[in-house]
Amino acid sequence: MSEDRRTASGIPIKGCYGPDDVPPSAGAALAAGPGRAPFLRGAYEGMYRTKPWRIFQLSGFGNPADERERLLFLLRQGEGGIIMEHDRNTADHLYDVDHPEVVARREDVGLTGAVIIGVRDYETILDGIPIQDIYTHPGGAVVQHAPFALACYWTVAKRRGIDLRRLAGTGQSDFFLTYVGCITKQQIPPSAGLRLNGDITEFCLENLPRWVPVSIAGYNGADSGLSAPDELATVFATAVEYLDALAERGRHEPQELSHKVGGVNFRVGMDFFEDIAKLRAARKMWAELLQRRYGIRDEKARQLRIHVVTAGSALTYQQPFNNIARGTVMALASVLGGVQSLGVACYDEALSIPSEHAHQMSVRIQQILQHETGIDAVADPLGGSYYLEALTAELEARAWECFEEIQQQGGFIEALDSGWLHRRAARRQSEQWAEVESDARLIVGVNCHEIDETPFEIDGFQGTTDAWDQATARLAEVRSSRDGAAARHALRELERVCRSTENVMVPMMQAVDADVTLGEIGDVFRGVWGDWEPPIRP
Amino acid sequence: MSRVIIAKTGLDGHWRGTLLVSRALRDAGFEVIMLGMARSEEIVSAAVDEDADLVGLNVGGRVEVVERILDDLAAAAPGVAVFAGGVVPPWVLRRLEARGVEVYPPGSKLGDIVAAARRLTRRPPSDASRAENALQDHEERRDERKAEQ
Repeated sequence: MSEDRRTASGIPIKGCYGPDDVPPSAGAALAAGPGRAPFLRGAYEGMYRTKPWRIFQLSGFGNPADERERLLFLLRQGEGGIIMEHDRNTADHLYDVDHPEVVARREDVGLTGAVIIGVRDYETILDGIPIQDIYTHPGGAVVQHAPFALACYWTVAKRRGIDLRRLAGTGQSDFFLTYVGCITKQQIPPSAGLRLNGDITEFCLENLPRWVPVSIAGYNGADSGLSAPDELATVFATAVEYLDALAERGRHEPQELSHKVGGVNFRVGMDFFEDIAKLRAARKMWAELLQRRYGIRDEKARQLRIHVVTAGSALTYQQPFNNIARGTVMALASVLGGVQSLGVACYDEALSIPSEHAHQMSVRIQQILQHETGIDAVADPLGGSYYLEALTAELEARAWECFEEIQQQGGFIEALDSGWLHRRAARRQSEQWAEVESDARLIVGVNCHEIDETPFEIDGFQGTTDAWDQATARLAEVRSSRDGAAARHALRELERVCRSTENVMVPMMQAVDADVTLGEIGDVFRGVWGDWEPPIRP
Repeated sequence: MSRVIIAKTGLDGHWRGTLLVSRALRDAGFEVIMLGMARSEEIVSAAVDEDADLVGLNVGGRVEVVERILDDLAAAAPGVAVFAGGVVPPWVLRRLEARGVEVYPPGSKLGDIVAAARRLTRRPPSDASRAENALQDHEERRDERKAEQ
């Protein structure tokens, strides 16, 4: 009992908790119940009885046809929506496949996501998929890529005669992925990203009422090292930055905007109770922040909806099947925390992008939880636990402290540009790994129980090897068969709007419809906004 | 002071691995040059211009890209040692090890990586001391194995 124990973020924990450990402030939030502000106990009243969480896995590799096949596979397994993951070489950088940086690594193309050079590739992928009925994240996780990805998907819908108002799904354009966790070689600066995210949000508000325009993804900060309270603080510091920028435009009321910004993502890792507490604290913080800062009283406008991805960094290269157990534990925590949708990182995460089998297991883990365990029957079943309520309150207090620290520096983008965030993440990353090296923190297969006497080795999914060749051929075909004058006109119009204060999504829709390619959009963006200089060298 | 270049072979910007390794090498007294995402010719010219003793490749993509870099380095800077880490599936690990490249996949100890950097940057001044170094290498590896058990 004398042993010093702490949560993953360093909160000291006792051996047992009692009524005196629950702060009085928890009482009112607990009494409100699920579906009522401040939503400590859940976003919706009926929770999973009325709305099971959505099984929502990332997927993408190779050629458009490979991507389509995998999406259909996942839908057959019982996925509740589709997430399209694009090739990092081309999509994240807005490079066409003939860009020298891409050619130099042509074999890599298609390994980390599908190669999608324009709207025709989207049509190939989505062929036969009833997108009017499917909740979709069509890609665009990285900020500069998002307008293109969304416009392509929406254009496919328009060409099929589907009313955009009927489409449901989510964008991402996440600052954490783009500027913290996965820094690209070239990227427009955060100020330009803020403008584009504002344009996407307003475009959705006016044209796609069922669409979550952007999704702040704390995951990408947390998996880079940010602690649970830091993740909470930085997610809301980003949200405030979005809302302030949109309020300044003056086209919509904060109350209309807050619901659009309130579909976020968190990481759930292996600290079971801390991460459950984090998701509960998140809903409460958002509801209170919106009331305090913007005077929003409407409850629905303050309802935070959470997507969780379980921590890829918690999965090991060694003894990879152990990761199925880890995925189950993290999925369980996510559900007990009250998620609306969930992606379980696949067991081969440390080796490769997911194989079909690994993907299937991530879906099955969730289905087993949904159908066999009964944990979906009761909302916030751990609510009122002395330990959990104490931890939730402590996390919240620490998160507000960090939030204030960010505000004092001038806000999230300042903290980003100065490298404060990166240093904070890197420091904790080092500390955490030092704990593993000194055996203060044990990871099975890494620093204990390393001997695998009956090794079930997997070699990692190898994907397709002709993605660059095929994309090169498609690019030539697009360039020769499209109406060149229309494409040039669309690009000029896009550039004009980028330099104005009009909404970029309008000419972006026209540009993708005119078969403008990824790299051409990138050239316009780079010409208008230039490159961000990252505070660290990735 | 030995000079180490750390470069990413691909355009995937995830940096936690390179940063952890670079920091550990710096703490151990190496001069670390972080090249970021670099093409083969950029890695080769940096290795030559910076008079590097060792190149650390963070692999986030296909083995063919890594092999091209290894070929180019072997041709233009044959004295420079190379080791690698990152998302390296077992079959790639074996293929790289077969051509003499030590590979440190996720979960590797920073202590082991630093020890490898020391071993790989020990420049043999003559044939006589080369034999001595080989003996010392053997002993160090044996000690490492013992310490692990």
